[in-house]
Amino acid sequence: MRQAFAAAALAAALSAFGASGGHAEDVIKIGVVAAESGSFVSAGNTIPAAERLATKEINDAGGVKIGGKTYKIQLEVRDDRTSIDTAIAAARELVNDVGVQAIFGTESHDFSIAMTKITGPAKVLQFTGNSTLGQFLTKEAVARGGANHYVFQTEPQEFQRSGSTAKGVLALLTPLMAQPPKHSVVFVANDVAGRYLSSHYVRALEANGQKVDLVYYPPDTQDFTALLTRIKGMKPDIVHFWYNGDETLVAHPQAVQLDVAPAYFLFGVDPGVWRERKLTSGAPLTLSCVPMCWGAPPTKAAAAYFDRYFGMGATKGVQSSVSLLYYDYLHWYVKALEAVGRLDDPDAVVDWLLKSKYQGVVSAAPLVFNDRHQVTFATEVCLVKPNTSGQFKCAVEEPPAAPPPGDPGN
Amino acid sequence: MSGRVSGRVASAAFLLLLVALPWISPSYRFLSIAISTGTVAITLYGLAVLFGQAGLMSVGHAALMGVGAYSAAILALRLGIGFWGALPCAMLTAALAAGLIGLPSLRVSGHHFVIITYAFCTLLTIVLTNGGDATGGASGLDLDPVGRLFGVNFDSVRNYYLLVLAALLAAMLATDLIARSGYGRTLRAIRENEALARAVGINTALHKLGAFMLSGAFAGLAGVLQAYYLRHISPGLYGGLPSLYIAMSVMLGGARVLYGPLAGAVIVNFLPEVLSIDPVDSRMAYGAGLVLVILLLPGGVIASLADLGAWAAALARRTAGRWTQLAQGR
Repeated sequence: MRQAFAAAALAAALSAFGASGGHAEDVIKIGVVAAESGSFVSAGNTIPAAERLATKEINDAGGVKIGGKTYKIQLEVRDDRTSIDTAIAAARELVNDVGVQAIFGTESHDFSIAMTKITGPAKVLQFTGNSTLGQFLTKEAVARGGANHYVFQTEPQEFQRSGSTAKGVLALLTPLMAQPPKHSVVFVANDVAGRYLSSHYVRALEANGQKVDLVYYPPDTQDFTALLTRIKGMKPDIVHFWYNGDETLVAHPQAVQLDVAPAYFLFGVDPGVWRERKLTSGAPLTLSCVPMCWGAPPTKAAAAYFDRYFGMGATKGVQSSVSLLYYDYLHWYVKALEAVGRLDDPDAVVDWLLKSKYQGVVSAAPLVFNDRHQVTFATEVCLVKPNTSGQFKCAVEEPPAAPPPGDPGN
Repeated sequence: MSGRVSGRVASAAFLLLLVALPWISPSYRFLSIAISTGTVAITLYGLAVLFGQAGLMSVGHAALMGVGAYSAAILALRLGIGFWGALPCAMLTAALAAGLIGLPSLRVSGHHFVIITYAFCTLLTIVLTNGGDATGGASGLDLDPVGRLFGVNFDSVRNYYLLVLAALLAAMLATDLIARSGYGRTLRAIRENEALARAVGINTALHKLGAFMLSGAFAGLAGVLQAYYLRHISPGLYGGLPSLYIAMSVMLGGARVLYGPLAGAVIVNFLPEVLSIDPVDSRMAYGAGLVLVILLLPGGVIASLADLGAWAAALARRTAGRWTQLAQGR
């Protein structure tokens, strides 16, 4: 014990004086900003966990080869503490003090937008999973010289995710219902993500023949009974609990208790969580993941990824699959650096990313960034066999190529 | 050296340290947290006028910051008015918003006033979230950088820190001047015994309204500074929880002493960040700390430290006197 302590103290002292065993110049510093504490920790924890796994794999495979030199990835993780002030301070530190090449994160729309004001002028690439960024990633904004030229959205355009999800939910639920569903109610938090995401999902359901009512609940609601009673009065065929998995797990039992609808859909609740918590539902129920489920991985590559991910000690949570919005992109970014052969030309890296394809875990088809720096892939939806905790039937419906009528597409 | 002189020397040294900070600490993270803390501290000085002098506690000051921030953003986006033009306009708008809330709510006092200010916070969040293109809805609004003035580039973090520091020092000075003025004495008279103040001819409602509007102007100033630092604002920044933190900070630091609000901002905003304390843990600590402060240190941490210092000095003087007597007797 004493020896271990002495070794640790020596290592700390050496690193403090910049005299670690490796060559300090032979590293590529990559920043991660995510909530490792505070109220967004459920999603936030997945980002550093995914990037630690990707970093380990890249470094174990020999590192990054650029211009005849080999570099190791040095991950610089900063906890944003679910505070925009801390996120901004972290971005300032990573960009100006540490000098990172790229930043991955955050999980929050507002934080990510505010961070782009720091990463953009410094020409630091920022990969963030928020599909809400779609409003800001216009063709003009991502063009060279534009405010968001160095920002990449690692989640599909929202109309695509909504379209893929809506098709999956209706395809899985319809055979179990007495008559085909015609009327859906989307129940969602009245916040930035909720309003943005639901606006697309409503259009996607309408495009699939549903009459849709949208009901907002105040963020951080715990007692949903008043609003659910109102929804029951609308006589819906399906209630779609949209976007916040943690709040959905509070609201859904209350809906079941009130017998609000004959069928339900819970967005962002992984079948793995349903199984581990031994939850059951008498009514037909579908679950979806962002983007694919660790409790029922749709491909061998995804299953192997989740084995490695949890093998590193990552938490099995409602939003663990969010990690996939970050894992592939570090690998892809490293390939871009190797292809460009330089560390000091972020514009060339952006250009290479835009013309390349990458076969990642998150999608059966290769990933491609479009001209608004967004990717395309499908969302997995799983049906829970009634009155069971661990029997699922899953579908991965291809996303629509174009937005449905009434959806502006961003 | 007398106590007053040594106090002034300590104050001057502290302020010099704040000014020199960008040259002492090159860390952008440190400066960034200092900027956030500074903007909150400006709001706290406004609340110190309201709570410390007039005895009215508001838990809606984040909303008043929001009024300032959104005013600045809307002026910039719709009318092309930049930071310097927006600054007085936003302060005025926030003061008017405080006046609007104050008109009906100052007829009540104590808990009722607190509840109404909190309700304003919630109402503002709903209005901003559902404000469509005018407020950017739930997504919020973006701002351009402050830019240059007289050749100074305020896009640089160091210069922005100095700008926030200048605003903070102005807020401290204004608070001190108010506290020492006849107006401050009037507010304190209302705080101590409103009925008596009214009986001697003070228009208490008008003065309470004035204090609330003044306090709102401070919050508006802080809102503009915060908005131009973050360059992206959204309704969530100005809801109930940030308002509660502001109220808690002023109670922890102390509203009736010059350095109390600054200490509150440092305790709640700065220390947990630089010490990397888990926000959930720090919330629990603040809850417990607030109860302890209310029970044991009703004047706040800084006032109690000053009392403790005075008590220690008196004790030292008495002890020294006794030793002198003993020595002379021997």
